[in-house]
Amino acid sequence: MTTVYGLIDCNSFYCSCQRTFEPRLKRLPVVVLSNNDGCAIARTPEAKALGIKMGDAWHLVRGERKLAGVQWYSSNYPLYADMSRRVYQVLLDHVPRVEPYSIDEMFLDLTGLPGDLTERCETIRQQVEQITKIPTCIGWGPTKTIAKMANYIAKDRPEMEGLCDLTDARTRQRFFRNLPVGEVWGIGRRLLPRLNDAGIRTIEQFLQADTALIRQIMSITGVRLQAELRGESCLRLEEMAGQRQGLACTRSFGQPVTSYEDMREAISGFAARASEKLRAEKMDAGHVSVFIQTNPHKRADGWYANHAAMTCSPTNNALALIDLSTRLLRAIWKSGYRYAKGGVLLNDLAPAGRQASLFDVADQHSPDLMDAMDAINRRYGKEAIRPLSTGIQRSWRPRQGMLSPRYTTDIREVMEVRSF
Amino acid sequence: MTGYVGDKTTGFASPASDAIEGPIDLTEILDLRRPSRYPVRVRGRTFFSRGILDGDVLIADTAGQRASGQLVIASVSGQPILAELRLIKERWWLVSGDDSSSPILVDPALDVDIWACVTGVVREHP
Repeated sequence: MTTVYGLIDCNSFYCSCQRTFEPRLKRLPVVVLSNNDGCAIARTPEAKALGIKMGDAWHLVRGERKLAGVQWYSSNYPLYADMSRRVYQVLLDHVPRVEPYSIDEMFLDLTGLPGDLTERCETIRQQVEQITKIPTCIGWGPTKTIAKMANYIAKDRPEMEGLCDLTDARTRQRFFRNLPVGEVWGIGRRLLPRLNDAGIRTIEQFLQADTALIRQIMSITGVRLQAELRGESCLRLEEMAGQRQGLACTRSFGQPVTSYEDMREAISGFAARASEKLRAEKMDAGHVSVFIQTNPHKRADGWYANHAAMTCSPTNNALALIDLSTRLLRAIWKSGYRYAKGGVLLNDLAPAGRQASLFDVADQHSPDLMDAMDAINRRYGKEAIRPLSTGIQRSWRPRQGMLSPRYTTDIREVMEVRSF
Repeated sequence: MTGYVGDKTTGFASPASDAIEGPIDLTEILDLRRPSRYPVRVRGRTFFSRGILDGDVLIADTAGQRASGQLVIASVSGQPILAELRLIKERWWLVSGDDSSSPILVDPALDVDIWACVTGVVREHP
């Protein structure tokens, strides 16, 4: 049976989530800021029309008069994660298999479904919008790469009314003649100049290019991309994320960290958080690294960045990982700098409880303490109890000046309605 | 000991071991995992006569069907309100709980829209 894959994409996802619970935002320009209220990471069409670009630094543009009416929000990830879950579940009511590719994009397996696909996809869009209030676009075709392309067309051209069907080879040919090759999934800024140098500018030219040439420019991935764009499916639908290779907890600080004590607290906090994620996935780590850096855009204040790493006997214990991270920090710390960012990265992950090597001392920390801490935090909320080394004041905490309520995950913060 | 629910006893075998049903799960009963269910909190007491008080948590369902007499969450000029939906001469109106305000016509063109239907009410400290 010929495969049909769809890709549904939520329009300005983070902004749309804010609009769900604040109907007054419906026609207003809305922007959601990155961690630490740094730069714009989601914009509604109204905000784009005012000239706000992806990545614009908020503190630089906020004073502009034409942006006075813009509604700014700190990113509210508990809300976005729950809304993404809702979208995913609505989709599963309509198609048998869904791949959550990113928080706001999902692949659909439309292979062999009865009835008219355009009608089905329109129903899906309406249902997602009614239930989550989030507008979407859907594109579909015989491969995931074509579905992604179709989605781009559906989103980019208002006359498509949010849907684009690229199952037909002649329709594809018509679009591919004029579409720049840079719009293809997986062809980034690094590859584009090299393709252009070889005279490849449109998708059609990419498809007509000699396989040997494509292999030379972008190895086997490029050859597979050619096949996918021709309609031969190489990438399958993955219903679950694969096992993770590494786990990171990094943050930009709300204000520069200058003292060792503050940095040690921050790094302890990252180690504690990373270990919590490990335990939630029943994994442990055999390799720890720590990095710290100053602001690369403010080199006038002096610039320093360094990292250190070590292997260890596999553990997921917060106290053990805090201890290791603090030792690593001590090795790279230099005073006299204004640090902007730091992080802890865990690698060599495997299911917890593996045999330590012959010469390792087995993890001496009892798991009971961690089990108790996790149970308390699950019941009474994040960080209800935590190691004291993670700090009390925590002046380096990220700025979240315009944080909206966690409307769907905390009963104290749900939407309020006035009785009429 | 954790995990004991009335089944696995150490001495005399529990006669109830085949009859374990677990505690009542309000998440399940209120169907809160369904993607269309959202808890919201009421402010004001105009729906006193329908048993809804200030501070109550309502379970709103965005997939619900419209019906006359149904309580709904609506947005009126961008403000979310709790109102009674009523079909009068083939048009939908939002009606106040205590007749303190005159009805509002449901019309997206006038920025009056239904957000969800109310399917349940939870009161934490009666």
